[in-house]
Amino acid sequence: MQAFDCAIVGAGPAGMCAAIELARAGVQVAVLDRAPRAGGQIYRSAANSPVPDVAALGADYAAGAALISEFEQVNLTHFTGADAWHLGDDGRILFSHEGNTQELRCREMLLCPGAMERPMPIPGWTLPGVMTAGAAQVMLKSDAIVAEGAIFAGSGPLLYLIVAQYLRLGVPVTALVDTTPRQHYLDAAPHLLRALRHSGQLRKGLALLREIRTSGVAIHSVAERLKVVGDNKAEGLRFVAAGRQHEITADTVFLHHGVQPNLNMTRAMDLDHQWNSEQMCWQVSADDFGQSSIEHVSVAGDGAGIVGADGARAEGRLAALNILRRLGHLSRAERDQKAVKDLSVLSSIKSFRRFIDCLYRPTDALRLPRDPETLVCRCEEQSLDDLRKGFDQGAQDPNTLKALTRCGMGPCQGRQCGHVVAGLLAQWRDEHPETIGYYRLRSPQRLLTLDELSRYHTVQVEAAE
Amino acid sequence: MKADVLVIGGGIQGCATAFHLARQGVSVIVVEKDYAGRHASGVNAGGVRLLGRDMAEVPLSKTSMEMWQTLDDDLGHDTGFRRHSLINIAVDDADLGALQVREDKMRAAGYTHERIIDRSELMDRLPHVNPDCVGGVISDLDGYAIPYKATAAFRRAAEDLGAQVVESEEVLGLRRIGNVWLAQGRQHRYEAETVVNCAGAWADRIALLIGDNVPLSHAAPMLMITARMPHFAKPVVGAVSRQLSFKQFENGTVLIGGGAKGFADRANNRTRLDYSKLAAACRTTAEFFPIMHKASINRMWAGLEAYMPDNLPVLGPAVNAARAFHAFGFSAHGFQMAPVVGQVLADLVTGGHSRFNLSPFRIDRFDRKVL
Repeated sequence: MQAFDCAIVGAGPAGMCAAIELARAGVQVAVLDRAPRAGGQIYRSAANSPVPDVAALGADYAAGAALISEFEQVNLTHFTGADAWHLGDDGRILFSHEGNTQELRCREMLLCPGAMERPMPIPGWTLPGVMTAGAAQVMLKSDAIVAEGAIFAGSGPLLYLIVAQYLRLGVPVTALVDTTPRQHYLDAAPHLLRALRHSGQLRKGLALLREIRTSGVAIHSVAERLKVVGDNKAEGLRFVAAGRQHEITADTVFLHHGVQPNLNMTRAMDLDHQWNSEQMCWQVSADDFGQSSIEHVSVAGDGAGIVGADGARAEGRLAALNILRRLGHLSRAERDQKAVKDLSVLSSIKSFRRFIDCLYRPTDALRLPRDPETLVCRCEEQSLDDLRKGFDQGAQDPNTLKALTRCGMGPCQGRQCGHVVAGLLAQWRDEHPETIGYYRLRSPQRLLTLDELSRYHTVQVEAAE
Repeated sequence: MKADVLVIGGGIQGCATAFHLARQGVSVIVVEKDYAGRHASGVNAGGVRLLGRDMAEVPLSKTSMEMWQTLDDDLGHDTGFRRHSLINIAVDDADLGALQVREDKMRAAGYTHERIIDRSELMDRLPHVNPDCVGGVISDLDGYAIPYKATAAFRRAAEDLGAQVVESEEVLGLRRIGNVWLAQGRQHRYEAETVVNCAGAWADRIALLIGDNVPLSHAAPMLMITARMPHFAKPVVGAVSRQLSFKQFENGTVLIGGGAKGFADRANNRTRLDYSKLAAACRTTAEFFPIMHKASINRMWAGLEAYMPDNLPVLGPAVNAARAFHAFGFSAHGFQMAPVVGQVLADLVTGGHSRFNLSPFRIDRFDRKVL
């Protein structure tokens, strides 16, 4: 046998749940993930946490350990440390593994690329000492490293979660600078009733906020005009709140204002995408089972539109059910019958999301840079001013602007600046993001050395028992 | 829309033609089905190469090379051209023998721009080359330019002189009625006395509308570019008998070509890569330049390029219609020729002749072949 029945890229909650479902049905599954152990970002190191008091990270994180253990017990081929850098619509996946390039073939492909944090290009955001809340999470989960006396600025559940985790672990936090505009509470209110369908999440969120409020940490609400101060490194944060200007000193500033799908895989595959106006980002166009515009390619989890970890689990199982149908293991009726519960879970999660998305909707002030000097493309060091000049020279869509200014051509392949550049062009042209489009992306989706590519091997699939 | 000349294809040849025509006061419209520089012109390796040209091309290529030296000033826009020389490396005596044969032929024709270098000069010029290499051949006038920038420079220079470029405009129909060409585009209708076919990988379709058949094929030469590296090679590098080709740009990135081809999906306006062939290109590059082993590849791509069976372009008048001209099929080495091609076409359009011998580039040169 030369091909796997299904290859899953990404072993977060969506990928793991799909893999479990498929493997239990007797399908030959390959799972590729960059990390040494499954979990994805949300459950990173959940099964082998270096944090002594792992309960401080919360019950959701602890639940990840159980899923990882279930995943590790099913019969499948799991390539750890496998960095997929080319996904072909012909069912071919190329990935770096132990210094070699491996080629693998599959009939069905499930992409679970997960989410990434929305860049927050405020003045000073590229100074050393400025990181994202997600980076704080990675350091904590992977290596039990924390930054004492940091400022956390922005808005959204992930920001509050890391602040609460720090506080539980006794790590001093200098301030929480919350940028949620007052208007957003009013805008979100009409969605509250439907969000109550998923009252567990809502209760957890409120408890988190209460925990931070009662901890005594300085909280500045409705903050605006944020600027990281410092010459060669972050020395503090300046902002306006409650009618006056503040400046707080800190060596570390963690920024966060929500997450968006990591588009590089799905865009490089040329899947159809659509603009999600509630989440202010692009996402893959897919049906209820995650089937994309290329029928043998499915997507699940945050990489297909932000749904959170529980939503990702449901989407992973749904995608698996549809893949089982496509492989002839289930009839359409069987698939639909097995899908009822997860479809209903997903629907209630999405009601909750609508409330959260509205409350923490990224503001233009934080989503798009305003200071001409602010860098937009960090890899190629292109500032707002550079891009505007390119635009004025006639480069009015993402690809011509890229060709002219080199924005998005660096090692991150536009992962960081893609949404910002598209957002700026939409603003300058006063047109809808759908009209503007996005970068045309190419493989490889990570830097790979000439040595890695020159050692090119094909994965042989063992015959099914 | 009306103009003296309608140029079909907004690649570098079309934009250069528009520039030279506009400079002579001719009104010109360029129609481009995607955007200017979208295909081969914008995504090629940027080599500005006179070295190793087919004898039939040498006069054109030589003139073009002279034009490149002052092109930025002539256009008033930056093409990114750098004259850093080009060296083709010889790995053994057979390579050196081939170089000697070539040099004798060039000298006999009166050309002196290619010069054989020995191993020690090779090592001086390329200190990181594998010491097993035995010599090479150099052309000092050669170098590189930035493809998209160069195409955009011609386009803007043409626009500065009054030419119009209409993008997202595919030509669906083309007819000669009386003394004018009528073109039906997706957006507009055009009327022009003269039509110039610079449609690259799609030029056979335009030729057919004009009335000329041509055995054009298309392919997708692949390229890779690395992340920035310390500077280690100033000249553009090739090899006499191996698929090796790279250049290091001023920002430190290294562009690796070599001619390996991916899959040209012309119907869908896109290309696919053949990664196992790129893997071979990596091996060759690192074999010649061990410093490249740890270089990191940042992007890989391919462009849609038009090829003729003899790897020589079509350049000259249409044979089956009046007031129509062709320039296409450059077979992956047309970028350097653009300045002179624009000049040749402008001369043909305005005066009916060129000072160059264009007979090797006739569109009907394969018609006369008999089995």
